[in-house]
Amino acid sequence: MSSPIVLQIFRGEGDSGAEQRFEVPAVEGMVVLDAVHYVQANFANDLACRWNCKAAKCGSCSAEINGRPRLMCKTRVDEFVGEIHVGPMRTFPLIKDLVTDVSWNYEVNKQIPGFTPAANEPVPYKMLPEDTERVYEYRKCIECFLCQDVCHVLRNHDDKSAYYGPRYMVRIAALEMHPLDTRKRTGLLHGKAGIGMCNITKCCQEVCPEHIKITDNAIIPLKERTATDVYDPVARIARKLNPFSGAAGISDLVAATDGQASTPQRFTVKDVVRLKTRGRQFARVASVLPDGKLQVWVLRMNGSVQHWDGPKIVHTSDVTNNYGPLDEVGIGGKLVEQYITEDHAAEQHG
Amino acid sequence: MPSARSRVCNVLVIGTGAAGLRAAIAATEAGSQVLVVGKRHRLDAHTVLAAGGINAVLGTRDPEDSWEQHFADTLREGYFIGHPRMVEIMAQEAPAAVRELADWGCPFARLEDGRLDQRFFGAHTYRRTCYAGDYTGRAVLFALAGKAQQLAIPVIEDQYISRLLVADRACFGAYGFDLVSGERTVFEADAVVLATGGHTRLWRRSSSRRDENYGEGMSLALEAGCRLMDMELVQFHPTGMVLPEEVAGTLVTEAVRGEGGYLTNREGKRFMLEVDPKKKELSSRDVVARAIYKEVQAGRGTEHGGAYLDVRHLGPEKIKKKLPSMYEQFLKLADVDITKQPMEIAPTIHYAMGGLRVEAETGATTLPGLYAAGEAAAGLHGANRLGGNSLSDLLVFGRRAGAAAGAYVREVQLGKIDERQVTEEQRILLLPLSADGTENTYLLQQQLQKAMQDGAGLAREEKSLKACLDKILELRQRSARIHVPGSRKYNPGWHTARDLRFMLTVAEAIVRAAIERRESRGAHWRLDYLEKDPALGRVNFIAYNDGGHVTLKTRPVPEMPPELAKLFAEPESSSPAPPPAASPPKPQQVRT
Repeated sequence: MSSPIVLQIFRGEGDSGAEQRFEVPAVEGMVVLDAVHYVQANFANDLACRWNCKAAKCGSCSAEINGRPRLMCKTRVDEFVGEIHVGPMRTFPLIKDLVTDVSWNYEVNKQIPGFTPAANEPVPYKMLPEDTERVYEYRKCIECFLCQDVCHVLRNHDDKSAYYGPRYMVRIAALEMHPLDTRKRTGLLHGKAGIGMCNITKCCQEVCPEHIKITDNAIIPLKERTATDVYDPVARIARKLNPFSGAAGISDLVAATDGQASTPQRFTVKDVVRLKTRGRQFARVASVLPDGKLQVWVLRMNGSVQHWDGPKIVHTSDVTNNYGPLDEVGIGGKLVEQYITEDHAAEQHG
Repeated sequence: MPSARSRVCNVLVIGTGAAGLRAAIAATEAGSQVLVVGKRHRLDAHTVLAAGGINAVLGTRDPEDSWEQHFADTLREGYFIGHPRMVEIMAQEAPAAVRELADWGCPFARLEDGRLDQRFFGAHTYRRTCYAGDYTGRAVLFALAGKAQQLAIPVIEDQYISRLLVADRACFGAYGFDLVSGERTVFEADAVVLATGGHTRLWRRSSSRRDENYGEGMSLALEAGCRLMDMELVQFHPTGMVLPEEVAGTLVTEAVRGEGGYLTNREGKRFMLEVDPKKKELSSRDVVARAIYKEVQAGRGTEHGGAYLDVRHLGPEKIKKKLPSMYEQFLKLADVDITKQPMEIAPTIHYAMGGLRVEAETGATTLPGLYAAGEAAAGLHGANRLGGNSLSDLLVFGRRAGAAAGAYVREVQLGKIDERQVTEEQRILLLPLSADGTENTYLLQQQLQKAMQDGAGLAREEKSLKACLDKILELRQRSARIHVPGSRKYNPGWHTARDLRFMLTVAEAIVRAAIERRESRGAHWRLDYLEKDPALGRVNFIAYNDGGHVTLKTRPVPEMPPELAKLFAEPESSSPAPPPAASPPKPQQVRT
């Protein structure tokens, strides 16, 4: 390795920029990040790049090397013949040089309801070894966002509103597969998280530096779970017979009838219910009062914006159906579309 | 600077690692409005590198274990200059901290009956280390981050804190800037918690992540008038990678020796058989590190000045099954197939036992309104840290510091902003961008790391330490003439220029204290004073800022109450006493 390494490093801010050529002396065992550091120390002190651990554990030095999303610290320069092109991740807005603004990911993360064990779960929690091992794989994620970068759904949609991306499928899987978690997130997955957008090209799985089988072990099982909860007719009937145990899947809304629920309904705070009153409005349980009364907030749609009116006191007999706990995001987006179309249809028939 | 923002909160937490998040959660639960700031992406704290485990006396494996035993093990391994009250608190409160984490969703390994599993770590009497695979730190951090998110605690990323703001002898906030835009922010707070980690990146060969652990928090506090303690005490991990040069220092986990790896010299001899016939390769960290150093000095080292760590006798299958990450690390980074070739290793800087002097109960520093927890604080580990105690430290003292800050906030009067401090810091910060100096900040940083490696490394003596100090003072002069091209917008050169100021201050404190501790104790090994000095065994060295100079004084080690003193038959015994004869079998001994 006597001839120098030739790097073409992208430099620029915002919308503009171009590659700049640098020559770096080759060193045994050198990785791309070392070469970038050499450039930084000797030619361009202000070259912007994120980095930290140099051991593929922090997930900050993500870049596109010869067009492929990689960690710079894990990519040897002697893998390549000829020039090495180093550029920022293209899926996220450019800040400067190799640094991109990945804050969208954190906003998405906030929308995922966290670990929710049953309120009466005895403490300290007990778990079987195989149950804990099952969620280990998802916990390996270092949040380098290479999977988000390579995902064509995110890459090709500027507003990124259609899909949360592979990273958050992994996070949701970690929560969903947690043996003590009681929350259903299939409504969210079907709705705003947009799991249906993934068509299993497995690109994310291929670029993952932690070798998490994102598609095989997170996305596909979650797709199955979502399909069961949202579409499976048997599960739907089972839920209707025992609404409390069911998922807050969207198909319930379609199937909702003026049902005399065959089992007495139970309510807890945050449950989404539908009222028998005119327009069969959705409401959210604010508190459960004695004598079979509920304090609720009633959903009123203003265009696509949700308004919750109330609090209002209703009797449990005024409730036609209980969809289980409010899944903060599932109630938005697609659920609302469903609600509007359904109401529209009801008006036509009525 | 063009646009200045200001943010107001009750408690400002600096650092997003486990100590910082635990403090933020405690302060929030105490009713404070909390703001957490960090230099990196959230979930990208140094805590994630803590692989091995977290100590807590739960007694699931060994019911005869007790907090008193954990106390005794920790204090003894710290060569009796740790703070007894801190050790006592840690030993008593770690079990609750671990249970709480499990309740927040941390996937600790379990036993068949569903209870938390515990394993052995070196120099512990019983099995008391909980773990989650080989990424315990990451699992702990994610659980804390999930809890913090549920409490809606705001975390701001990419914030570089460059000064603590002090008025009327109290801390009322911090001055920082946004790494991305370069815009400044004045954080106004009633109390500040420093959870900023250690300083082990001052050395060239270090197991720390590359771009952190510059001693930022210690330097910030020293400049603000706080006291540092035990700065000379720095732990070495015996096995760090040697090649390639660029990754030198990266940790080779102790699990390699735990699984039965041999340490050999160039002649192929297992030198640990002579050094410690009983524990062999699994002797304590300082002993193994010194043995390797001695082999190298005697001319029996490897080509690149280390020793060989050999696992070939275990067979390829066992290696790939038990040590998958090491197999991959060496294959990927060093082109070494550890099933066919031995690993070349050398001691590497690992952990800062020293840091801010804090009150044991509260984490309060000597400056009212300023608290510290985690590696940034001193006192718990004494002269040597036990494996697995650092995560316990973060949780127990993170919680206490956050709760104490939350309680302080309720009492304190609103602080005043001293505009002069803000403008002064702004002027200093911008200097490298505007000055017409000639010094390259990166090259100065490399020189400092080399000087520390050569002069204040594993084996120290008066001459090498004094040469190192001279170099530090020279670099300080030269650092005034740094020039960085470009603007403030995401400019790593500019950030490094500020880092260098932190590093120089902390390096000076370390080296001055190392000169004064004229004895060998724990991790501090003086070639010119090979024995322990009982007089020095009763004091801690305190460093403080005296008109811009780092100055030292001594302070007696606090006494422990008589009922705890009884645990030690011979507190002044020359080496850590061996575990009781009835110690249970050790199936696995892993720490990293």
